[in-house]
Amino acid sequence: MSKLIDFVTNSRVWRSFFRHGWPDNPLDRSLVMTSNIFLHLHSVKTSRKSLKWSYSMGLGIISAIVFGILTITGLMLMFYYAPTVERAYGYIITLQTLVPFGQLMRNMHRWGAHLMVLVVVLHMARVFYTGAYKPPREFNWVVGVVLLLLTLGASFTGYLLPWDQLAYWAITVGTSVAAYEPMMGSTIKGLMLGGPEVGQEALTRFYALHVMLIPMGIALLTSLHIWRVRKDGGLAANAVEDGGSDE
Amino acid sequence: MSNAEKPQSFSKEKSATKTYSLVELVKAPTTMADKGPDDSIFSFPTVALLELLLTLGVIAFLVLFSLGVDAPLEEIANPNTTTDPAKAPWYLMGLQEMLEHGHPTLMAVGMPTLMVLFVMSIPYIDNVRKGSGVWFTSKKGKKVTRNTAIYTAVVMPAYIFLDSTFPLREILRGQLPDFILQAVFPAILMGAIVLLPVIVVWRTKPTPRELMLTLFTVLFVGAIVFTLAGFLFRGPGFELYWPWDMPGDYRPWHNL
Repeated sequence: MSKLIDFVTNSRVWRSFFRHGWPDNPLDRSLVMTSNIFLHLHSVKTSRKSLKWSYSMGLGIISAIVFGILTITGLMLMFYYAPTVERAYGYIITLQTLVPFGQLMRNMHRWGAHLMVLVVVLHMARVFYTGAYKPPREFNWVVGVVLLLLTLGASFTGYLLPWDQLAYWAITVGTSVAAYEPMMGSTIKGLMLGGPEVGQEALTRFYALHVMLIPMGIALLTSLHIWRVRKDGGLAANAVEDGGSDE
Repeated sequence: MSNAEKPQSFSKEKSATKTYSLVELVKAPTTMADKGPDDSIFSFPTVALLELLLTLGVIAFLVLFSLGVDAPLEEIANPNTTTDPAKAPWYLMGLQEMLEHGHPTLMAVGMPTLMVLFVMSIPYIDNVRKGSGVWFTSKKGKKVTRNTAIYTAVVMPAYIFLDSTFPLREILRGQLPDFILQAVFPAILMGAIVLLPVIVVWRTKPTPRELMLTLFTVLFVGAIVFTLAGFLFRGPGFELYWPWDMPGDYRPWHNL
């Protein structure tokens, strides 16, 4: 048996996949991090300070996790949905009554969306109150604010898709706010809805925004956001206190 | 060429053995050398495992919650039957509540735009490195935040309640130009509520950080108050009610 394991782990195929040995020593534990695209988000070593739950409460990571759950459940919902005024509502009924785990998927997507808005807002408050926006992290703070707005946009565009009374009137009220913009208000509202009121054009646009444009924007900016965290020296809890910093 | 005319090098003397010189003084953190013991752990496996556990925890929470509570679904959309009240999603209810208290362009466009611009510019106003990575930065920061939060949590609900029950803007309608009643009046009032704690803190010679703590807390707690008011306390006709005492069978949380 151990001969077989040795043969497999020493084969060229295995070694092209895993470019390090079993991670029970410092060298291989470093290589695990640097040779894996997902783990590469972290540095090889993490300071204990930044791991303290009372400091970050894990809110940033939780937002990313919830975004992942929303992507997966959203993809599953897409298999049983079409953004047409005549059929959208019927698809939701079918999903809830006939599709195995359909109701569960829809519930997880709905509650996950609310949770994401909540967690992202709390994450922003945490970063603010710990002063983690201070130099050199100014740019990442701005990226974070844009990500918050995109999160709201993702949630808002998804709200219309079930095409029930709740969706219809919430979006009617929500988009009418845009019309109060004095110069381009009606243009903005027209661009969002594709017509004078919420109808097929609006549903098509909200669907495209909800499943493609906004999630892609979030994924892209989240990558930038996490990369910047590392570039700026990890969590601000690690900030090096010395006379060299400007005051 | 005399000695004095020669361009002076920083090292003053040309020594064959000295290969360095002081070129510039830079204000920046120094390397980690001599900063006490290195208090860090290998990211693999501890951090990776923690994140895996957190992922499983979030999934478990969402699955359990979703098994217990179904997402709402009403009748098919009907443009001819307005729901009462017609509300935006909960995170926009702050905006919709603002609409009740003044000119829509001011309340739903002007103020939120200002807020977003302010929030984005925070790190450029408070651009001091020191105090990063510590909750509220200092004892004074903590105190300022707590007092501002209490002030906002009292004043903002009072403003919403008074403006809805004794709407000066409606009582004086016709006696003063609409623009003054609906735009200038609420803008001054809102501005005063937001700036009052800033002025109070200003008198204690605050750091930029303490000023930001004050202003952000007013806006953040204010946004929470307006969102809760719009989401939980507005019933049919967009009138104020206690959330548990809504007329008919309307329950705000059924709208999530």
